[in-house]
Amino acid sequence: MISEREAAKYPFLSEAARLVDMLDLTLDDLAEPVHAKVLDRAEGRVSEAILKGKASANLGDSLTELLSFPVANMFITALGERFLDRRYALSEAVRAYELLNDESEARVAKMARTEFQWDLRLVRELLDGRLYRFELHFNDFLGNAAAFREPKWKLVNRLMRDGYVLLTNPETTRLLQEEIRRRIGGLISKHRGLRLPEPLQARVDRLGRTFEENRSSITGGDLPTDVLVEGFPPCMRYAFEGLMAGRRAGHMERFALTSFLINAGMDIDEIVKLFVSVTDFDEQFTRYQIEHIAGLRGGRTRYTPPSCSTLRTHGVCHNPDSLCKRVKHPLSYYRIKIQDIRGKQEDKPAE
Amino acid sequence: MVEQDWGSVQFVAEQFRRYYALNVSSVEAPSEIRQREFGFLSFEDRGMFRHKGFDDAQHLRHYLVDYAPSHTYYSSAYYEAPEAAMEFKGWQGADLVFDIDADHFSIPCQEDHDRWRCRTCGEEGTGHPPESCPGCGKAAFIEENWLCPQCLEAAKYEAQKLLDILIQDFGFTPSRELTVNFSGNRGYHVHVRSASVKKLNQLARREIVDYIMGTGINAEFQGFNQGLRGGRYISLQEGWRGRSVRALYDFIADASPEVVEDLGLGKAAARKLLKNRETILGLLMERRPRNVVKYVDLKSIGMLMEVAVQEQAAAIDTVVTTDIHRLIRLPNTLHGKSGWLTQEVPIDDLADYDPLSSAVAFTGGTLNIHIKRAPEIFIAGETYGPFEDERTELPMAHAMFLLCRKAAKVAS
Repeated sequence: MISEREAAKYPFLSEAARLVDMLDLTLDDLAEPVHAKVLDRAEGRVSEAILKGKASANLGDSLTELLSFPVANMFITALGERFLDRRYALSEAVRAYELLNDESEARVAKMARTEFQWDLRLVRELLDGRLYRFELHFNDFLGNAAAFREPKWKLVNRLMRDGYVLLTNPETTRLLQEEIRRRIGGLISKHRGLRLPEPLQARVDRLGRTFEENRSSITGGDLPTDVLVEGFPPCMRYAFEGLMAGRRAGHMERFALTSFLINAGMDIDEIVKLFVSVTDFDEQFTRYQIEHIAGLRGGRTRYTPPSCSTLRTHGVCHNPDSLCKRVKHPLSYYRIKIQDIRGKQEDKPAE
Repeated sequence: MVEQDWGSVQFVAEQFRRYYALNVSSVEAPSEIRQREFGFLSFEDRGMFRHKGFDDAQHLRHYLVDYAPSHTYYSSAYYEAPEAAMEFKGWQGADLVFDIDADHFSIPCQEDHDRWRCRTCGEEGTGHPPESCPGCGKAAFIEENWLCPQCLEAAKYEAQKLLDILIQDFGFTPSRELTVNFSGNRGYHVHVRSASVKKLNQLARREIVDYIMGTGINAEFQGFNQGLRGGRYISLQEGWRGRSVRALYDFIADASPEVVEDLGLGKAAARKLLKNRETILGLLMERRPRNVVKYVDLKSIGMLMEVAVQEQAAAIDTVVTTDIHRLIRLPNTLHGKSGWLTQEVPIDDLADYDPLSSAVAFTGGTLNIHIKRAPEIFIAGETYGPFEDERTELPMAHAMFLLCRKAAKVAS
């Protein structure tokens, strides 16, 4: 069995959860004053997630640290804010990442293999001045790194042979962080709309207020209703101007542009008119397709444009600029650029 | 029998029916057939008939004999309920599939046998259609695509590069996990069937696509970084680390000053590159890419590399591989646009494989046909054509190919 200290460090492990189960605490038990420390710490974990995006590790009192984790999960579930779910899972995963960086390779490997079934092998290879300590099967690598956007995480930029990707120690723990983030995300999304006993609910309400106060600074704003072409990312501008010029575009480019225009708030009729006027597409058919993408037909899913990396894969990314380096999605680019444009307009002195 | 329609659909459908009646036993069930969705196109109408499922090879064969479809597909995906509507199918996983189609790359022979015509103004040209019509600026074209031994060789070459990457870098075992099919038309399909790929999501498949195509390759992570010293040498067989060095070597060795200038390198960088060409090639040959940065700046190396890796990368269809619900052709079934078979090729035999003799389904006898227009047709060692509005008697293989292409009709 895992030690209490180990469980406190990594409370998302299945063995840590078993340790908590063995204590057999009920919700009513937790509401007792003796457990105030646990509730304090749980509330602390959630508010650290809201305010800093990173939970600290208080290993002085292992039992409190361990017990506060399932309680914090419960708070998050009770809060029922999807955005906060993600932020909390990340905050806890970063906490684990920092602790893992102080562990031995053997400990890291053990967690990866036994807890997450990674196909991971220990190696020792010095290459380009970097010491590679692990070899991970590409399947597990992609499961975690495919969403990362720095060039060094692209498979094409890794050394892979026979299906295994070489990794340094910090790279391995970074990938484990991602795995842990998903594990924690899974722990909190299970039961929604939880109503807790009063002393606990009071804490949830307090956390809810903290979240509301900080919501706009951590979630970003909404898109304007009128479409500003000046705010388009270079790829969409290229696609849009290409369409106007009657250039032949591939399916992916047309889909990306259409879904982008819909999400940027352009009127469906306007988009239909645009396509029909510059190509000789059949109006009814074009309308059908656009309405499908807008979620007015078929599966009723409103499609968002593909992410930057998808656009790159399919050759739709053109002339990326400096803002492109900071975003992963054409809509994020648009959102930032629009705020920029508006900011400048507001700065202008009144006439 | 005189038919008015180009392609003589009824005649071709009858030939397909006869083919399946005699040869259906060669059609095998794909692995886990009960979890696969099937789709068919028929000669009668234009929509795809999909969401079909079969319990075993026997049922599938009965269906092929009864309906003799013009095209036969099955899903790369595994479903709980393959016959249910898309949202209720219950996706369980999917094979990793790659599609290589000569139509997706530019090869000189296309200028000889492919044509396009603008739907709006009627302007015509050869090869791939332009981005927009030089006559009227619109972008809708009627395309006439043909194929020849060169196209098929080019496609095979890409398939071989793909297989090398899948075997050496990804560690897939040929035959057991990897199979190659001739598509029955212009290319090849490569299937990876293994537990390790089945559950890969679209994001992960996209990374694999980028890997195969060298998309997003960054010189700094391929060893072109002076700051990082120490450690062993890379072998040229070591994934993209080796491939990128080879690619750059080949490119720099062959590059003319004009080519280098066209890349958009700064004037100074281009001059330095050409002046130090021999030294740089020497460094690459010694596998010391780090020191190349002394002669050409990292940014310029990046631009060179982006172009150079194209030769080492395999040209796959990016959409097919990332689509986890894809329908793909079933081996040993007929392709309605060629009259040829989709056919599995043992990987060891790929180098010598010739689809134009092996995959031809209709042989024996001759047929009188009226040909609208067609370039030279080379099948099973015999060349006929080009044709322009003429009536002639051709071997069955050539005649069926032209009929399937809708470039001819059966003459009385």
